[in-house]
Amino acid sequence: MYCIEVKSLSKSYGDFVAVDGIDLKVEQGKIFGFLGPNGAGKTTTMKMLTTLIPPNGGEMNILGIDGIKSPLEIRKKIGVVLQQPSYEPTLSVEKSLEKYGMMWNVEKKIRKDRVEELLFAFDLADIRKKKNDDLSIGQRRRVQVAREFMHDMELLFLDEPTVGLDPSARRGLLDYVKGKVKDGLTIFFTTHILEEAEYLCDDIAIINRGKIIAVDTPGELKNKFGREKTIKIHISEQKEISSLLSCIPDCTIEYDSGVVITVRSSQSEQVLQDILKILASNHIPVEDLSVVPTSLEEIFLSVVKNSNA
Amino acid sequence: MHEIIRLVNRNLTISLNMGFVIWQIIFPLIYIFVAGFAYTALIHQVPFGNKTLDYPAFIATGMIGFNIMNSTLISGIIIWNDRRHGMFEQILVGPFTRAQYILSNVYTIGIIGLVSAAMITAVGYPLFFKQVEFNALTIPLVVFASISGSILFGSIASIISTRLKSSEGFNVVINTVFLFFAFVSTAFYPAQGAPPILSTAFYFNPLTYLVDIVRAGIFGYFNGLVATEMVILGVGAVVLFLVATKLLSKLEL
Ligand SMILES: Nc1ncnc2c1ncn2[C@@H]1O[C@H](COP(=O)(O)OP(=O)(O)OP(=O)(O)O)[C@@H](O)[C@H]1O
Ligand SMILES: [Mg+2]
Repeated sequence: MYCIEVKSLSKSYGDFVAVDGIDLKVEQGKIFGFLGPNGAGKTTTMKMLTTLIPPNGGEMNILGIDGIKSPLEIRKKIGVVLQQPSYEPTLSVEKSLEKYGMMWNVEKKIRKDRVEELLFAFDLADIRKKKNDDLSIGQRRRVQVAREFMHDMELLFLDEPTVGLDPSARRGLLDYVKGKVKDGLTIFFTTHILEEAEYLCDDIAIINRGKIIAVDTPGELKNKFGREKTIKIHISEQKEISSLLSCIPDCTIEYDSGVVITVRSSQSEQVLQDILKILASNHIPVEDLSVVPTSLEEIFLSVVKNSNA
Repeated sequence: MHEIIRLVNRNLTISLNMGFVIWQIIFPLIYIFVAGFAYTALIHQVPFGNKTLDYPAFIATGMIGFNIMNSTLISGIIIWNDRRHGMFEQILVGPFTRAQYILSNVYTIGIIGLVSAAMITAVGYPLFFKQVEFNALTIPLVVFASISGSILFGSIASIISTRLKSSEGFNVVINTVFLFFAFVSTAFYPAQGAPPILSTAFYFNPLTYLVDIVRAGIFGYFNGLVATEMVILGVGAVVLFLVATKLLSKLEL
């Protein structure tokens, strides 16, 4: 069953098309990663899916409910952590969790237990009595994300939830989310941090300029776009070598600062041999050498670059 | 629990802090007792309908209206803060509609307005008890004035909070507007005896109507003017409420 099913969804602001007829399908119980550069249309898409803003065209079906006809019915079943911070400045951390649960009509007894659980899970116990106004940005973000777990839901939208979090808080959050998915929750997740998407997501869509330019599992994306590897060679002194290496086929070469050569190629072994030969015959010593499979980040960059071209 | 009750619960929790309650009680008390007695030297008596009032009794009843107006600022502040701190969008992406959000604000103002009125009536009572003339109209008049007054001023505060962008702007505008309402009205001094320009200006101010109706209730004096004032206040409240609702429901997300 699909939790989210969207056909040619569009949103324009005046003449500007922010989301340009996208199709999406998100399976129940999965974590769906929605990636894209700044201004690509991620937040706009999420605002439409959560019924905060109406689309200009297209169809959307969320949890089996028509998103255009019954937005309120959808909102009752989803949780949303928006990209924009939100907090109750005058309330303490624990009180703001408590009140949020109350707003969602969660029973008092359950509310109390959940507050305790979340204060612990999101490492907020030490600051439970502090007012939201007095928190650091990252602490506030943690409260905002924790708060959303006060109520039951079938589908959770997270718009860059980890922005501003330190590495351990970030990992804690991702693991908490993973745990919830095991219990049957479906997650729609946007991020700029590619390792995060790789760690968390079952499926990934990449959006650029309002259009979806790739959808697949992280592994398949790597297979499709990432058979090439990245070779980094440090040479010991600054030399003008671009003319020497220009004859090597099947690769792209970048010269950063003159001593670091970055080579991308799907025939990495052959290319590496050729380069080393040329360097040796010109008496250029190699300081350091590494070959790494292309990361999701590089795939992201190259897919986006191609679609811009 | 119904959605609106939950939102009202939340509104009251976030707005009722110690500072606000103290402000709501201490400030009028200072006016009633300090100004009330100090100005008695200047203004001995105020003619009101078929009787004359002591100035302390006059200002104490004026403070009821003043306090209702002040407490409705809360509505503007709630909307303003919700927008500034992202809670407006967060609530609207939750299990609520815009209409429920707006209504919950109205109920919040209504409750705070009534409680404020009751509080100042209780506190000021020693000053005007000699001259009160409770009758069948007292409670309906005071309640009508409290509710329509709070909706009217709450709507004004809401309209301001939806139109402005910077928080300095919000504070300056709201303070200026409410200062004008407070001092160009019959809350502090009677229209009779004021320079003609000022006493005409008094009647371009909804606080004047609110205060006149409260006094009519407390001092048992009802006439055609008061009835007209009730109509104007009621219509004004409805119209401004509709405008505020329209603006709020059009607010871009
Ligand atoms: N209210 C608005 N009015 C006009 N243009 C808008 C509005 N909201 C968004 N846009 C435009 O729509 C495009 C998509 O914005 P969106 O917020 O969806 O980007 P995003 O992918 O979430 O970016 P980011 O990674 O920076 O959060 C941007 O070019 C933005 O300028
Ligand atoms: Mg965004």
